[in-house]
Amino acid sequence: MKWFKEKWNDEPVFSIAIAFLIMVILQTIVLGFDYDSFGSWFTSWINNWINILRNNAGVGIMALGMTFVIISGGIDLAVGSTLVATGAVIMMLIDTGPKGILGGIGLTGVPAYVITIILAIILGYLLGTGIGLLITKGKIPPFIATLGAMKIFRSVTQHFMQGYNPTVPTSFLQISSFRIGTLMPMPIIYWLIIAAILYYVSNRTIFGRQVIAVGSNEKAARLSGVNVERVKRRVYSLMGVLVAIAAIIQVSRIGSMDFANAGSGNEMDAIAAAVVGGTSMSGGRGTIIGTVFGMLIIAVMNNLLNLFGVPPFLREAFKGFIVVCAVLLQKKEKS
Amino acid sequence: MKNIKKSFGSNVVLKNVSITINDGEICALIGENGAGKSTLMNILGGVVKMDSGEIYINGKKVEFNNPSDSLNSGIAFIHQELNLINDLPIYENMFLGREIRNKRGRLDLEKMIEETKNVFKEINVDLNPKTMVRDLDASYKQIVEICRAIMMNASVIIMDEPTTSLTEPEIKRVFKMMRTLRDRGVGIIFISHKLNEVMEICERYMVLRDGKLVAEGMVKFITPDDLARYMVGYDVFTDRFLRRHELGEEVLRVEKLTHAHAFRDISFSVRKGEILGVTGLLGDGRSELFQAIFGAEDIQSGKIFLEGKEIKIHSTEQALQKGIGYLPKNRKENGILKDMNIIENASIVTWPMFSKRGVIDSSKHKDIFQKQVKSLRIKLNKITDNINNLSGGNQQKVVLAKWLSANPKVLILDNPTQGVDVGAKEDIYDIISELAKKNMAIIVLSSEAQEIIRICDRALIMFHGVLQGEVSGTTMNEHDIMRLATGGELSAVQRGEQ
Repeated sequence: MKWFKEKWNDEPVFSIAIAFLIMVILQTIVLGFDYDSFGSWFTSWINNWINILRNNAGVGIMALGMTFVIISGGIDLAVGSTLVATGAVIMMLIDTGPKGILGGIGLTGVPAYVITIILAIILGYLLGTGIGLLITKGKIPPFIATLGAMKIFRSVTQHFMQGYNPTVPTSFLQISSFRIGTLMPMPIIYWLIIAAILYYVSNRTIFGRQVIAVGSNEKAARLSGVNVERVKRRVYSLMGVLVAIAAIIQVSRIGSMDFANAGSGNEMDAIAAAVVGGTSMSGGRGTIIGTVFGMLIIAVMNNLLNLFGVPPFLREAFKGFIVVCAVLLQKKEKS
Repeated sequence: MKNIKKSFGSNVVLKNVSITINDGEICALIGENGAGKSTLMNILGGVVKMDSGEIYINGKKVEFNNPSDSLNSGIAFIHQELNLINDLPIYENMFLGREIRNKRGRLDLEKMIEETKNVFKEINVDLNPKTMVRDLDASYKQIVEICRAIMMNASVIIMDEPTTSLTEPEIKRVFKMMRTLRDRGVGIIFISHKLNEVMEICERYMVLRDGKLVAEGMVKFITPDDLARYMVGYDVFTDRFLRRHELGEEVLRVEKLTHAHAFRDISFSVRKGEILGVTGLLGDGRSELFQAIFGAEDIQSGKIFLEGKEIKIHSTEQALQKGIGYLPKNRKENGILKDMNIIENASIVTWPMFSKRGVIDSSKHKDIFQKQVKSLRIKLNKITDNINNLSGGNQQKVVLAKWLSANPKVLILDNPTQGVDVGAKEDIYDIISELAKKNMAIIVLSSEAQEIIRICDRALIMFHGVLQGEVSGTTMNEHDIMRLATGGELSAVQRGEQ
């Protein structure tokens, strides 16, 4: 018990993990044991989980980037729109129809996909860097800069994609739908790999630690020889790259994209995951593992609401409730 | 206050402290950082709860659960960081949280202004209640806080290091105010590190050391040296001069450096192994000047030479790479990363230096810091504790450590002993002289003339953004420095020319 109390007090992630565990147990109970054998119960339990995680991998990846952004003291409202913009470009590139760009120059199959992925990531990087430059060189508050970018990216995408419905080649869908046995775990694998990389970046690299330093005390960081502007710009560039990866997963998972609505609300879900995971909105504090758990908590809760048969319009209320509760429970810094 | 005990975790901060404050006296509460002064006062101010003990006011036992309980009992706590809102006028600040409303529930501005005027008149303060707090200098802000305390009928006022950010005339102003209050029967607890101020303004003193009251008595029977000894528990040499040493070639030269508003036409140079002091009164522009040299401020015109070569510095990162270090003033605002642990605070500067492909070499940083913990005598528990667990002096040493491990050619120290207790101060002086012996060029910015005289080979004095003059060697004295700092000139004889 003493061990538990110490962990609870000292490790912010510990309490989040416990909360997650409780929700998993709850979910397991609700799913019930009404099966012929343990084996079939287990398969169904796993399948349910794969489904939950698959559906949340995209937002989960964006939440990882959002964690960096928030730790640095900023915010990014443009992720949903960046997702649509890069998604649209991906689909234009690989369209099998007459307007398909790569198809038009005779590139198809794997080489086309590789080029598409590279270009998508470059685009995400450029869009993110643009936002970063607005914030650092233009000295616009992140909230305003990304609010502007959010409107611009979506509006421009919608305008150019009017009446154009690209067809995604079925083999491209393998990126997300490749089966291992009977399961389709690819998006989850991407998510976990990226989480592992970013965990390392956050804890071991100069960039990762400088992000925390900048969020903790920007002035002190600058006076310690940290190039604050570059750190901030890179945070948004990283966010852009991660959004591009999320867009690739989204396109290859669904095979289409609704340019008016896809990704809208993603920014808030990503912020929610980071906050539930213990990231402080005032910057300086937050962890990648915390955000992974935060995303999982929100995902399991969605699943639970489904299982309980809560009316769809009420679900957002529960999400809001969870976010507020999580922050209430977190240890507050004494001023 | 009787038998006050308080501990944070396993750390016992106050061990059975009992103190008394009388009406109409100014009583000094002194002690090293970490002695328990702030905790004791926070208990009295209702900010922190004590573990055990009793508080009596006018013979009646009271209990404080929060700051407003304490305020209602007539105790006003004026914190080091003032509690005023810059964007509101004085009178609204005076009534913050207790605004006067008229019958219709609107703010009764006239009445608030009137009452503010009354208080000002009562204690001879010459201020317009409608002035914005932003436009006041630090001493008047302090005075506004005091007036607020009076308006709330405070019988005891706690002042936590009220003079740290004030200039000489401003301190005089605040002291005059304090005396007026004393004569009106208010008891004042004056917390300060500046012993000569204690000697000047206080009647009685109380010294805390390691959570115990080690000495108290009347100020007129003691000397500053006695006080310093009580604080640290051993003799401190307050008048030791550092040994003069051989100077090497020129490292940094600055020519006609000009800033948009803070300073203009500054030229000087500093040599290897030299300790150059820079001083002046508030508003002299010295911090801006050296922040500009460090790349944190823009320069309008002028040239900077490092080891004879002209350099252009646009960011602090470049300055660091070129070998210029800058230890900022105001540790809390500019030095400490409050969300990070001790070792990270001590290594942020050297992350880019000791790393491989962007990955920090943490074991190397650990080795370096372990050595510094020893050589700088940093008192700490674990290097992975949060930086806030350290006392002010040790925090300052950690901030200093991060620059020492970068081993710069020129190290600029801006108020390196600010808010640091006597023992740590001596340690820092020792470190500075050690570094100079190792041929580092050191520039010490300080508002204390005594400090400059004690440790520097030569000193530049600034006045409103210009270099007013220079003093050097054994002829340096406070009088000359003060004269230059207030805009005066020295005669040829005083300059040591023949």
